[in-house]
Amino acid sequence: MGFLAPLFLIGVVGLAVPIIIHMIQRERKEVLEFPSLMFVRKIPFHSFRRQRIRHWFLLLLRCAALLFLILAFTRPFFRAAALAAVTDGAREVVILLDRSYSMGLNDRWVTAQDAATDVIDGLAPDDRATVILFDNGAEAGARSTIDRTSLAGLVADADVGSGVTRFGPALQLAGGIFEGSDLPRLEAVLISDFQRAGVESASGVRFPDGTVLTPIHIGAGDATPANVSVAGVLFEREYFSGRERVQVAARLTNRGGAPIDGLDVTLEMEDREVETITTDLPANGSMTVDFAAVTLGDVPMPGVVRVDSDVLPTDDAFYFVVSPGQVITVLVVGSGRGLGDAETNLFLTRALAIGTAPAFDVRTTTVEQMTPSDLTGRQVVVLNDTRPPDGSAGRALADFVEAGGGLLVVSGERSAWPLDAPDLLPGRFDSPADRAGRGGSLGFVDYSHPVFEVFSGPRSGDVTTARFFRYRPVEPFAEAAVLARFDDGRPALTERRVGNGTVLLWASSLDSFWNDLAKKAVYLPFVHRVIEHLADYASPTPWFLTGQVLNLAATDVTVGDGGVAAAEYVVMSPTSARIPVDVSGQRASFINLNEQGLYEVHDANAVDGQPSVVAVNVDLAESDLSTVDPEELASMVTGRVGGTRETEASVARALAADDLERRQSLWWYLLIAAALFFVAETVVSNRLSRTALSAE
Amino acid sequence: MAEPFTTPGARFVDPKVLARIGNLKLLARNVVDGFINGLHKAPYLGVSVDFAEHRGYMPGDDIRFIDWRVFARTDRFYVKQFEADTNANFSVLFDISRSMSFASKSISKLDYGRYLAACLTYFATTQRDRVGIVTFDNDIVTRVPPSAKHLDVVLHTLDRIDAGRPGSFEKPLFRATEFFKRRGIVLLVSDLYEDPQTIIDGLKPLSYAGNDVMVFHVLDPAEVDFPYDEATSFQDLETGRKMPVVPEKLREQYRQLVQEHIDTLSRLCGENRIDYAFFNTAQPLDHGLFKFLAIREKLNRVR
Repeated sequence: MGFLAPLFLIGVVGLAVPIIIHMIQRERKEVLEFPSLMFVRKIPFHSFRRQRIRHWFLLLLRCAALLFLILAFTRPFFRAAALAAVTDGAREVVILLDRSYSMGLNDRWVTAQDAATDVIDGLAPDDRATVILFDNGAEAGARSTIDRTSLAGLVADADVGSGVTRFGPALQLAGGIFEGSDLPRLEAVLISDFQRAGVESASGVRFPDGTVLTPIHIGAGDATPANVSVAGVLFEREYFSGRERVQVAARLTNRGGAPIDGLDVTLEMEDREVETITTDLPANGSMTVDFAAVTLGDVPMPGVVRVDSDVLPTDDAFYFVVSPGQVITVLVVGSGRGLGDAETNLFLTRALAIGTAPAFDVRTTTVEQMTPSDLTGRQVVVLNDTRPPDGSAGRALADFVEAGGGLLVVSGERSAWPLDAPDLLPGRFDSPADRAGRGGSLGFVDYSHPVFEVFSGPRSGDVTTARFFRYRPVEPFAEAAVLARFDDGRPALTERRVGNGTVLLWASSLDSFWNDLAKKAVYLPFVHRVIEHLADYASPTPWFLTGQVLNLAATDVTVGDGGVAAAEYVVMSPTSARIPVDVSGQRASFINLNEQGLYEVHDANAVDGQPSVVAVNVDLAESDLSTVDPEELASMVTGRVGGTRETEASVARALAADDLERRQSLWWYLLIAAALFFVAETVVSNRLSRTALSAE
Repeated sequence: MAEPFTTPGARFVDPKVLARIGNLKLLARNVVDGFINGLHKAPYLGVSVDFAEHRGYMPGDDIRFIDWRVFARTDRFYVKQFEADTNANFSVLFDISRSMSFASKSISKLDYGRYLAACLTYFATTQRDRVGIVTFDNDIVTRVPPSAKHLDVVLHTLDRIDAGRPGSFEKPLFRATEFFKRRGIVLLVSDLYEDPQTIIDGLKPLSYAGNDVMVFHVLDPAEVDFPYDEATSFQDLETGRKMPVVPEKLREQYRQLVQEHIDTLSRLCGENRIDYAFFNTAQPLDHGLFKFLAIREKLNRVR
């Protein structure tokens, strides 16, 4: 029997501790601080009889607990089992094969497959092996198997993916396999082009001691080739003759040391070539190419920007989906009484006239003229300084909110909410209150709410600079949430969910009569965010990156035409493969976007039958082909500086002491035994104390 | 959540509390000396809607105040005089002895007292009263004289105070009497670990000088309920004295003594026209404060 840490045996002298405890007074040593002992009567603490061991059983329990604890720390192991393990030379081999898209360069992938096959062929009959295919994620085939055929088949069937190199997940997975292995020799073979960008993720990963990592560097002798990539696209929108047009600008980068002349850059929209521009690209530089404007239709248009194919074709195309600028329809209802109606709406309508993403389609009416048909096609209604509509229009407004519409109630001189009006408000408002002097300001703002989130960062606008000279005190209902308060504590903006809709109550006006908010720079984003929140607006995503996950059922994920409702889906990948989508029960429908190109999401319940299109591009971090020294990575993971290959004898010796102790893990059982003894000690000592107390 | 104020110490001004007590007024029960118009009764005659008395017309009096009805009856000129309203000095006497730092749960008595003092100071400022603060342990530690512009200074002082030394009442209250020459409102915030008669003897000079004195007695729930189980040594935070105690044998007697202490304080304060309120730090602050101010306002109306 041996010990990995025999110095801990010195702790045996700690066995004297329970004896000392028994011998001295058992008075609690911790002192409780109390404000004043003015009322506390002094009671002398009862001393126990001491200097005589009365509870031998308790003493034995304590000694045993400490002894087992000390033994656990010494990490004991049996040498007989170690000898048996060393003479068995079976290996646990993990082959890590990089399939990031940079492996598609020239013949790198074929070379990598050959190297993996060679390793599989070299396995001894007792060896077990695992193949891990990795890019930014890692995927293991059959784990720790002796089936050579399935391993070779897995390597042969694998293909280059669209992901980027990340060593971390793969090495972590390999480490987990090694941890669970009971074979004496652990070996990893890492087959990769060793791009520098992937190394950072491996920091913190550490193989068990004694593991041998053998790197196989694919394309080691190659000079860094010239590589042109399309780094991204920008959209410039404009309206021309009532139609929306978009101008696409593509960013190109050249990571080679030589300039490239006569490079053809092509824009394709909906599988049709729109324009080709020939340009020159400087060495190790980048530039932007502007294409002519394209007129958009009513549905999202997929497109791609391509450059001439080079050694790494994957990053030569950039896919995207251009959505027509979304429009939020707003109905502004004024009171129609007095002279100030136009002025009341002036700031609000002017603010909503600005903006393209989204744009606001604003119609104004008065509360007397409002009819139920005015609500058709509207997403948000603003009751600007007026009462709610009567009769059928009032009922239609309540139904509109219940069905998911947004309602903003702006307080003003003419605001009122009769008792017979629908119960929509978040709170009850009172007659106007004046703030003398410099007026009030917003004292509390909930910056976590979507309305105010835009102001949360530094230098993002300060809503508290606006001065409020008059507002209506609001008493919020229990179900309402107060998003902003004035500096006297009264609610300024209150929110309530009514059915599927949202109602916001603004306690002051949105013109310049009761406050100067309309004259502040924050007015425009504030009004826009309020309307966007009420309309439940989310900006569309023009493209995703490989490795991201698309949730079809999430209403806030907008793809193409602004969202895909949960339904029966058929998803076609860029390589025209059908991807099964699980829509059963309450489970969300997730798609792993692993391929570069355009995914089509066919919705069986869609009225128009048009598929939604999702553009997916590769992460351009992989375009940087600079490499890292494989020995450096191996040292980082194995913790040994210098050669990663060791003779089999030295590996076996390294395994003898610490690895065998790890496999036997006796310390674990000793620790459990110590814990059990401590629990028993607690129970027994408590019982003894209680008995002693009751006897007194 | 964003910090709504920027002044250090302004975090103790709780909007929830202010919203609760916002409809009430903190009115002095006595007449007080002020400088400008306010909510409190002044010892002088002046301009208000409350009629006080008639006085014979003297050359130089404004003829707008001549009571023409009286002239019609008596054929003599009399002018009408009115009560004067004024603002008041609102001062906090804050006990920062070490025992105030005790907290069995989340909030210490010191912090609770800070909230009380900050909210009432802010509240007094809103009704145009002049605010100040005096902190003491076994002597006066800091003093901010009452002023209409001293809200920020009071809040800074509240932010800076540190309960670190033992406390007493006799000497600091005696010295504090010198500060309150002008009649106003004085609020004592303390845990009142002293003989009730000693405390009242210290407060009497303040009351006799015409000040409206209020006492907020702040205690932690552990000081009231004594919820400890295990026998252990207790250490007095102020004196450092240790004492072995078996709480379960002492609890009932301890609670009785504390209740008697509170009752005695309440009775003695009542006898000396001093308003007394007890605050348990486990209770919401706005609730107790609202109750106290509401009762006080109701009593003012009766008088």
